[in-house]
Amino acid sequence: MAYEPPKQSFAGQIFDVITLLVLTIGALYIPLYLGLAGAAKVPNPIANPTWEALGQNATEQQQWAALGVTDAAAANDMITARFDYSFSWSALIVMAVLVIGYFVMVVRLSDREYREVIEERFGTKRR
Amino acid sequence: MEDFTSTAAGTDRIRLARVLGPSHVWALGVGIVLVGEYMGWNFSVGKGGMIAGLMACWVAGLLYTCVAMIDSEVTSTVAAAGGQYAQAKHIVGPLMAFNVGLFLVMAYTMLEAANAITVGFLLDTVAGMQGQAGLNQQPFIVLSIMFLAWLNYRGVLATLTFNLVITAIAFIAIIALFVSVQFGASAVPLDFSAITSDPLPYGWVGIIASLHFGLWYYLGIEGTCQAAEEVRSPARSLPYGTMAGIMTLLIAATMTWYICSGLMPWEYLGQAGTPLFDAARVTGNTGLMVLLFVGTAFATLASANGCINDASRAWFSMSRDRYLPSWFGAVHPVYRTPYRAIVFLVPIALIFALGAPLDQVVTFSILSGLLGYTFMTFNMVMFRNKWPLGKIKRGYVHPFHPLPTIVLLVLCSTAYLAVFLGYGTQLSAMMCFYIVASLWFHFRRYKFVRRGDQFTMPWPKPEGY
Amino acid sequence: MWNLLEYAAWVLSALFGVLMVADLIRIDMTYDSELLISSREGEIEATAERHEL
Repeated sequence: MAYEPPKQSFAGQIFDVITLLVLTIGALYIPLYLGLAGAAKVPNPIANPTWEALGQNATEQQQWAALGVTDAAAANDMITARFDYSFSWSALIVMAVLVIGYFVMVVRLSDREYREVIEERFGTKRR
Repeated sequence: MEDFTSTAAGTDRIRLARVLGPSHVWALGVGIVLVGEYMGWNFSVGKGGMIAGLMACWVAGLLYTCVAMIDSEVTSTVAAAGGQYAQAKHIVGPLMAFNVGLFLVMAYTMLEAANAITVGFLLDTVAGMQGQAGLNQQPFIVLSIMFLAWLNYRGVLATLTFNLVITAIAFIAIIALFVSVQFGASAVPLDFSAITSDPLPYGWVGIIASLHFGLWYYLGIEGTCQAAEEVRSPARSLPYGTMAGIMTLLIAATMTWYICSGLMPWEYLGQAGTPLFDAARVTGNTGLMVLLFVGTAFATLASANGCINDASRAWFSMSRDRYLPSWFGAVHPVYRTPYRAIVFLVPIALIFALGAPLDQVVTFSILSGLLGYTFMTFNMVMFRNKWPLGKIKRGYVHPFHPLPTIVLLVLCSTAYLAVFLGYGTQLSAMMCFYIVASLWFHFRRYKFVRRGDQFTMPWPKPEGY
Repeated sequence: MWNLLEYAAWVLSALFGVLMVADLIRIDMTYDSELLISSREGEIEATAERHEL
């Protein structure tokens, strides 16, 4: 016996699209608004910057000049900025559980739905 | 009427137009990705230094070679608009398919937004060089999205022929820059001294971290599958176009790394907005500067164009199965495009292009892509298990199974770690989004879906069911 | 010059937007909605390639 889905009203269709939109926009903007997003590089400018002190050789100084940076002080922040890769193991574990758990959940629920599909498509009636 | 096909039941049906050849498939795949060479990849140098950037380039290249091989086999067999979405539906199950569909829509819409942001940024740079500081970028961002959406609305053949031309020009621009710098066109010599003086500024963890943006060299090559329903001979054209695409990209990526790392200090390169254009500025050669400006503009437009094409196909396919409201599953009776899906996705792209910073949008796109590649690993294993070789006709069979699958899984895990280093919050937010969306689909949305109709391939029953 | 380009970009964006939406409305009013959403996956397979050995 084939499953006959209910017919969805137009308002219901709109409601479903809005739900999905809110979810999407929320996922991107909530971390942004909470200020949790992103790895900002932290500059560690050195005192009395010269090109030599910043570790730039003659060719590299030429390259900076061609890019429009002629003053070593202007490049100070850019050259000394570094990411911070220290992380907590607990956060790493939480992430691993989230990713693996997500895939396990999706595959298991999918399989349950898939069996219905196969049964209806290839049920004893058809083949 | 010629536009409609009559079915056995005697009712008229409209379907997408089957007009594309292998070169269009190449243009779709490479067109989406080539922009990665013009912007974005260089953040990998920022995350780990010059050597890490090159290693990320090649490791990601290996990852994507696996993706291309696996995808070619599955998609040459499951040839339907929606690409990986239709694969998941036939091989893993409906909820997975819904998630894969969302990965595709998200990855491409975000990439489209990132491209539009880059167009604005590029014009701002040029205006700045002409003495006009503080250009209002918004109208140009909106215009690029609007124009390309309109082009997509009007028909797929014109859209992808346009893509073929501008992608080829952008690719030739990279080669021209490489060759002319080799023959001494640059006023400033190539300098790789940072490789020895400052080899790994972050140590080994920097190599892992840089893989995050190393993906950007190739992200989107798997989009070729979306064209399956519009290609004249999918079983032949899709593997051919995809493989040619990945080879093109491997060449372009290595050349790009070489030129940019040689012509710019890595500290600058690691944060540059348009690295190849900047490299051309360093050479001091006006001709090259104009060429690379054109290349950057064309690459971003080609990418946004392909993204609109792919995201709308995925949205359309999901609606056709009622995973989303069926209203979106409409085909334009004259232009034969999924026109409602195209129009609907325009404001979404605009929201992200106008409201979010570039690296966030890029990360969101990369993460959705990465989840999709993880799906491909077990999808491939299940495909070979449920329909072993010889049970159904495959357009292409990839060699060394299951080696590419294992390599892909290992590289995906490393890439998650790379994203985690620095963008852990986004990763968690993203996972929560997909978990909530999955529950919503399973418990609310799925009741509107016809069960047996989802399985549309004329295959025998899968083994083990 | 750049100011003029900004205005031109706004105008063109609006133009493309209006063209698309107008056509969408026109098509939706002209054709039967059941016909518009009549596309089905897998029709290629049924007509062009049988995946059986």
